[in-house]
Amino acid sequence: MTITRNKITALLVRTLFLGALLLFFFSPFYVQFIYAFKTRADVAVTGLSFPTSLTFINFRNAFDGTSLFPAFVRTSIVTLFVVFILQTTGAMAAWIIARNQKNRVYNSLYYIFLAAIILPFQVVMLPLYTQFREMSMLNTLQGLILGIAGFQLAYNIFLMTGFIKTVPLELEEASLMDGAGQWTTFWKIVYPLLKPITMTTLVLNFLSAWNDFMIAVVVGFKESVRTLQYALYMFFGQYSTRIHEAFAAFIIAVLPVVILYIVLQKYIVDGLTSGAVKG
Amino acid sequence: MTKNHHAKSFLFLLPALIIFLFVVVVPFFRGVTISMTSWDGLAKNMNFVGMENYKRIFSTDTILTPLKNSLQFTAITLIFDNILGLALAVLLVASTRRASFLRVAFFMPFIISLVVSSYMWTYLYSSVLYPVFGLQNPLGNPETSNLGVALISVWRNSGYCMLIYIAGLKSIPDSLYEAARVEGAGRIASFFKVTLPLLVPSLSINITLILAWGLKEFDTVMVATGGGPGRSSMSLAFYVYKTTFVWNKAGYGQAIAVVMMLFIVTVSTIVARALRSREVEL
Repeated sequence: MTITRNKITALLVRTLFLGALLLFFFSPFYVQFIYAFKTRADVAVTGLSFPTSLTFINFRNAFDGTSLFPAFVRTSIVTLFVVFILQTTGAMAAWIIARNQKNRVYNSLYYIFLAAIILPFQVVMLPLYTQFREMSMLNTLQGLILGIAGFQLAYNIFLMTGFIKTVPLELEEASLMDGAGQWTTFWKIVYPLLKPITMTTLVLNFLSAWNDFMIAVVVGFKESVRTLQYALYMFFGQYSTRIHEAFAAFIIAVLPVVILYIVLQKYIVDGLTSGAVKG
Repeated sequence: MTKNHHAKSFLFLLPALIIFLFVVVVPFFRGVTISMTSWDGLAKNMNFVGMENYKRIFSTDTILTPLKNSLQFTAITLIFDNILGLALAVLLVASTRRASFLRVAFFMPFIISLVVSSYMWTYLYSSVLYPVFGLQNPLGNPETSNLGVALISVWRNSGYCMLIYIAGLKSIPDSLYEAARVEGAGRIASFFKVTLPLLVPSLSINITLILAWGLKEFDTVMVATGGGPGRSSMSLAFYVYKTTFVWNKAGYGQAIAVVMMLFIVTVSTIVARALRSREVEL
């Protein structure tokens, strides 16, 4: 009798607790949805209740003729290049480092990359800005791409090197014996074997490029190069009362990463946990 | 390996190395030089002033507010990210469909950009909290603005801690729980005697990461409050940005950035060492 009562109490506590957590974690998403799909007049009358009909006017107002659509396109371009640069150069460098652990030069390079992971961006912020200005790369997409990729590179090399060390040498040695060059060996034999980790870095790099704000603030602040996060900041900082358009714009702004996350969730979860546990 | 082979190996590393030198290494060393000047960020010439900027950081107390805010922010996120993360992990470790769906959902805030999550919460605070719940917007009050910003971060990062704890929970062998049961331990006792000690590696990861993220916090502060009201939610990283680019004290701002970096490296190293020695004991 007491056991069942204890069990019921435990279940009740558990359910209430989970309910409170659900409320805290999901109410922002609910409010976002309500505001994005209701008109201002509708919210004034019906408040936060579920909409009876969905309106898309907020989406149109947010993107039609505003700075947000071009910013969306720019962010897509920047993300594409950042991901490409990191997936190729990071993997190539990590392969050499992982396969030459006894070489003093490569080994110390590895530790330099490792140390760079903890570096706060603020410490290179001003010099990077100055350097880009001197080289006419300030407020260019190239500068932005290079800045984001460069700052993510160390973490990529750390994750990749850790993984490559666990990949057996035999296949690539056989390939090199057969007379295939390093280039062919790497791309034909090694790279496909790295798929678990390259999928993880793909998601992580996509997230950091798409969501970047800090680097854009410093090297890509002019309206003509603004990426989505910075454009959202400027737009809704200026029009802080346009809350319905804001929430509609946020839904569009997070859509690519949400889709990517849902499609590749297995890799991001595996990668985040295994990479972190090893480190 | 032949010399030729080594040369080719180096070519593989070269693209990454060039980008890294250009974006991180060269700016880092130039930054150290700039921190010893009275440069405003614009003028052609820089005046070398030696350690003047550093002396000024430690002789005035303007850095204390951002330092205090960053430490408070970090403490709050460390505590609540871990408590909520652990609670979620324990509730959702099961491999049922419902649990795995909720895991995906609770991790969702982490993939959303800080700009969007900060704005979502700013609007939530201002347009929902007061009209619906009658609660004051925490961001408008200097007493609570830093807490309000920290709460956004707790919302975002708890799901990450959850994932790390779930990985930890899954690595605990069932035989240990059986042994505890044989010895007469109840569910609560076995949680404290078996689960928690074996989760120390996961705790270490979460502490190290949340600590580093907390001390570097920038986006949330800039978007949600701009450091205000007054300087009540100004973080170290945002203070560096303001000093350098808004108040045009580039040399001084760079010196603060260097001090901030040394501070983060020192604290992280000490904490990581302490955690590692604890893991060995267990």
